[in-house]
Amino acid sequence: MSSNRELTMSSYVGVGIGLMAIVIVEVFLTFQHLPARTLLSCLLCLASLEAFIAVMYLMHVKYEKPILFWTVFPATMFVLVFLCYVFPDAFRMFSMRLMK
Amino acid sequence: MSQAELAVATGHGTVMEASPYGFDKKKLGMWVFIISDACTFGAFLFAYGYMRIGAPVWGTPFGWSSIANGMLMTAVLISSSLTMLAAVRATQVGQRSSASKWLGTTMLLGVVFAALHLREWFKLIGEGWRLFHNPTGGAAQFGATFFSVTGMHLTHVVTGVIALAFIARGYNQGRYDETHVETAGLYWHFVDLVWMFVFPLMYLMNAR
Repeated sequence: MSSNRELTMSSYVGVGIGLMAIVIVEVFLTFQHLPARTLLSCLLCLASLEAFIAVMYLMHVKYEKPILFWTVFPATMFVLVFLCYVFPDAFRMFSMRLMK
Repeated sequence: MSQAELAVATGHGTVMEASPYGFDKKKLGMWVFIISDACTFGAFLFAYGYMRIGAPVWGTPFGWSSIANGMLMTAVLISSSLTMLAAVRATQVGQRSSASKWLGTTMLLGVVFAALHLREWFKLIGEGWRLFHNPTGGAAQFGATFFSVTGMHLTHVVTGVIALAFIARGYNQGRYDETHVETAGLYWHFVDLVWMFVFPLMYLMNAR
């Protein structure tokens, strides 16, 4: 059950405008022709910020009991971070192509 | 003595302890689904990253018009999340007609998003991009990853629109209550959340 501390509809519109502003920043950075690694880092940070805002406010996690956050967030992050284990193999594939 | 012990002692076995999460089982079930679906999308996006790093030349087919289309799609999806919130609010105060209106608007925005998505797909197909063909001669995996990740997301949007139609109908007929609408809303916001990663990784990272 959500608490009564929830935002008003006009505040939610503000959250939506904030999310759209982050998207505009992402597009602006894209056309600055940054190095791919820098651009990827910036875009992932901004996307994570957007996701955090969406989870906390649009999906109401901020207004639920903290046990929900501590059940959902660490388990999901654990799986997603461990997926990164495959990336060294992708770099190996890339190096092998260059050696041919 | 806890509620459960009291229930056993007095022979009223149906009395249950309250959920530690403080909400009903539908919502908890949706959260479990969202965790599993987040991992599925994560695996799709990691597979895309793996193939992209491993390929010496990657396709970058998106010009400004495609990026503008993607921004419009994002705006439509964020707007639909706001209309979904309005629908949930309306159900919580028992405004049945207002809830129906906002649910209808959310579905309409979902359909607009799908139409914009398909427009982008047909444009790429018209330029010669296929699941296993790159018309510029680079890595063929671009089509495979782009169409599979965005196709997976589009499937979620279409499924969400259909689910919302059922929920709206049931709510109007009195078969469903505000918890059903709130649970459907949770799914809809998750679809919005996934797009926040798909747009920068699949569109912006592949801009010309």
